[in-house]
Amino acid sequence: MNEHTIRNVVIVGGGTAGWMAAAAFARFLNNGVTKVTLVESEEIGTVGVGEATIPPLITFNRMLGINENEFVAATQGSFKLGIEFVNWGAVGERYFHPFGSHGHDLEGVHFHQLYLRERKRRVMEDISAWSMSAVAAAHGRYARPGPEAGFPLSQLFYAFHFDAGLYARFLRAYAERGGVQRVEGRITGVNQRAEDGFVQSVTLASGQTIEGELFIDCSGFRGLLIEGALNSGYEDWTHWLPADRAIALPTTYQGQPDPFTRATAHAKGWQWRIPLQHRMGNGIVYSSKFMDDDEALATLQANLEGEPLAEPRRLAFTTGRRKLTWNANVVSMGLASGFIEPLESTSIHFVQSGIAKLIALFPDRRFNPVERDEYNRQMRDMFEDVRDFIILHYNATRRDDSDFWRYCRTMTIPDSLARRVALWKAKGRLFREGYEVFATTSWVAAMLGQGIVPDDYEPAVDALDEERVAQALEQMRTAILDVAGRLPTHAEFIARTCAAQGPAPKPPLPEFVF
Amino acid sequence: MTVTAPPIGRVLVAGGGIVGWSAAAALRKRIPALAVTVVPLPPPEDALADRIQSCLPPIINFHDDLGLTEADTVVRAGSGFRLGTAFEGWTMGRSAYVHAYGEHGRPFGTASFHQHWVRAALAGEAEAFNAYSPAAALARAGRFTHPAGPPGTPLAGFAFGLTLTPTRYHHLMRAFALHLGSVEREGAIARVRLAGESGCIEAVEMADGTALEADLFVDATGPRALLRSALGLRLEDWGRWLPCDRFTMAEGPADAGEPPLLDTAAAEPAGWRWRSASPLLATEGRLFSAAHAGAAEGVPLRQGRVAQPWLKNCVAIGDAAVRVEPLEWTNLHLAHSGIDRLVAMMPARDFNPVELWDYNRQAATEADRVRDFLALHYLASERPDPFWREAAAAEPPPSLAHTLALFRARGRLPFYEEETFGRDAWLAVLLGQGVMPRASDPLIDVVPPRDSAAAMAALRSGIAGLVPGVPSHAATLQTLSRQAAR
Repeated sequence: MNEHTIRNVVIVGGGTAGWMAAAAFARFLNNGVTKVTLVESEEIGTVGVGEATIPPLITFNRMLGINENEFVAATQGSFKLGIEFVNWGAVGERYFHPFGSHGHDLEGVHFHQLYLRERKRRVMEDISAWSMSAVAAAHGRYARPGPEAGFPLSQLFYAFHFDAGLYARFLRAYAERGGVQRVEGRITGVNQRAEDGFVQSVTLASGQTIEGELFIDCSGFRGLLIEGALNSGYEDWTHWLPADRAIALPTTYQGQPDPFTRATAHAKGWQWRIPLQHRMGNGIVYSSKFMDDDEALATLQANLEGEPLAEPRRLAFTTGRRKLTWNANVVSMGLASGFIEPLESTSIHFVQSGIAKLIALFPDRRFNPVERDEYNRQMRDMFEDVRDFIILHYNATRRDDSDFWRYCRTMTIPDSLARRVALWKAKGRLFREGYEVFATTSWVAAMLGQGIVPDDYEPAVDALDEERVAQALEQMRTAILDVAGRLPTHAEFIARTCAAQGPAPKPPLPEFVF
Repeated sequence: MTVTAPPIGRVLVAGGGIVGWSAAAALRKRIPALAVTVVPLPPPEDALADRIQSCLPPIINFHDDLGLTEADTVVRAGSGFRLGTAFEGWTMGRSAYVHAYGEHGRPFGTASFHQHWVRAALAGEAEAFNAYSPAAALARAGRFTHPAGPPGTPLAGFAFGLTLTPTRYHHLMRAFALHLGSVEREGAIARVRLAGESGCIEAVEMADGTALEADLFVDATGPRALLRSALGLRLEDWGRWLPCDRFTMAEGPADAGEPPLLDTAAAEPAGWRWRSASPLLATEGRLFSAAHAGAAEGVPLRQGRVAQPWLKNCVAIGDAAVRVEPLEWTNLHLAHSGIDRLVAMMPARDFNPVELWDYNRQAATEADRVRDFLALHYLASERPDPFWREAAAAEPPPSLAHTLALFRARGRLPFYEEETFGRDAWLAVLLGQGVMPRASDPLIDVVPPRDSAAAMAALRSGIAGLVPGVPSHAATLQTLSRQAAR
């Protein structure tokens, strides 16, 4: 700590992103000097439809010292073992993108290579039969593996489904306990330094001015500081990901919550289904070029299992990313930094990752541009990797039942993705690059699941005896099946460890403002 | 010199259901000088005005008077529109009929429309009477839009009510009443304290020992009439004409798909059953005579009206004043009507007996004509079950006997003050249940039957031509929902 240490961090906006940042700063900037202020307005709604996550959130919770059971109970949460994709490769097809790995490698040879060779010899089960998470999910079972768990239970990776509004509330309590000051008010002015555009303060409708040296822009799609004040520019990816609308509609549901998210492709869009303890999160994502809002809502309503608990919430977005995630002394997070549709539940991960990277590259009052540039590079890579993975889902399809799918199937794709698909198609090769969010398992699941089968396998596999490999694969498969059968059901696990307190809240009554 | 009595300043509303909060909202909105306190006693299960989903068209006017828009009363409150009720099995051997709201046909030549219809029907050449109701045609097609267009065109002259989602609607009315400055005072009522000399209510004593004083006490506590009964009350019993004396009611989620525009009321061997559904919630209920059904389950219902709903400084509103089965959905309507009348006739603190007398006269006339309209459904029934044979054989009350006699002669209808149901409604039920005039009105003799037939055919095709252009009920709700988004 010295005279260069940042004294005032101001977070603009208090949705999921704002409170995640506030909670993390409460923990990591607790140096006695740095003050964290969050400005939010009750008048401005938050988006927060992202109710599904991926496993790294466990790390975020651990970093903050959050008890996982308390967190799940407070957010009406449930556990997620992966995503079931329905009707993506073709109508009637299903596959499971699990967390964790498929099987385990043998003598340095990737499991999926072993699988690909074996598949040429005989009729094989779907590759998900070798995923602990996928098999547990298929049986509606879940348990949290302890640190000492061996194969296959060690491969049960999980994430969470939760109510994003409750999550923000939970984190707010954490952050305020940690000394973050919350200021209620709508921002009406941004005051910048003439010479370099650095934001010096924001002015509220009340007239109050809040000064800071570092501003975190969590103001949502509009990017009040990063775009409104600094014109950082936006890279539009609609060409590859044409969806630009979503409608969210929670419903009641009976029965036990599935420990997985489902993503069902329809003729002109796709629908999410996210089971929580107290409700089912549903929504449809679509492109306004191919389907109007009425048809989208009708499609969603026609494919709901329960009764609506709220009015449909509509969202409009442009897929893409802010060209400079960090510009001057403003770091954008959440929707202010870009948006990729929730097909692989990455929205909250972007926030978390942005926070972790910012903490790793935290500036001082001199704002060395090297730190900023590195941050922007890493964020760009992450956004692009996820973008490519999502594009694969749309592009690798045989669907021909609408202009939408014909467009997606025949559009040009980024070179980075084309190269990856070509490598896979030849001999099933995949290489994880840099900080990629999605590892080999994810790409294997999606490629095979969407019907891209490699022509051949790696020559290195042939060094292994076919019969021994066949035997080993069979042992893995039955071991997984056996463990899955002994796990508690997802509902039992929740009831025992992290049931939301009290009876499930009644469907929220609408808010009347006269 | 005449000394003017001081105005009423403090009002206490007992009852925290839809009726109580609606009364509080209307009093604050329309007489802002009043200080209104609500004791939100939960409505008991026989308080039908607080529980029934289906509402008659005048609820729209009630909302307009309060300044409430469909963004709140329909979209956020989860209500649906409704165009009438389908009656099934009330007259065996005849097909089901629909009592749809608003115009049936249009007068032409020298007489009202139904006279043309009656002449054709007597000659055996008429479509069902509700074939001339645009509301019935829209309802059958599952389509709804607000009435609009030049007068005389089919879509200009129908009416509609609402099907509520009661929990949400209650939440709306409470929020609105509080927004208007009503004060909520929770707690149980232990005792109603009367003033020694005048016999007026002096205060309501709460279970926690506090006493709530007021100038005027509004009793919206349902049939038990917790406050008004403290002054003694007499019930004009309607059991002779409305023979159901018990009911059951159950809620469930609404069916997926288009919310219905018609609710149903189907006759059963010892009573009738209904089904109503808003976009979010469906209710089913049964009304029956315990003696005939041989069943003692359900909630008792003794039908009738309180002889003097307003006595001294206490006025009974809703089911506290009129206890009536939900046939034709009058419970909440009568409550609204009582509230409107209370606002319009608000006396001074001397509670001048002349003013109270006229309030009670109007309330009685209104309730008795509702009774007549409901009794008509039973008297004009044709079913072999003992329950129905007895109901059809009952001697009608004089005002209904008068109506029936006049109508049976030449299809004319008498004029009564305070009618809830207009001529179109009476005709829909009379003709729907097969009550026919012996002869048509001589006024139409100057119109040749074939001109009538051509005009009637034109009316039918006019309706048929417009219906396909109207959006579905769900689509209209969706449009409203989009407009209401904030």
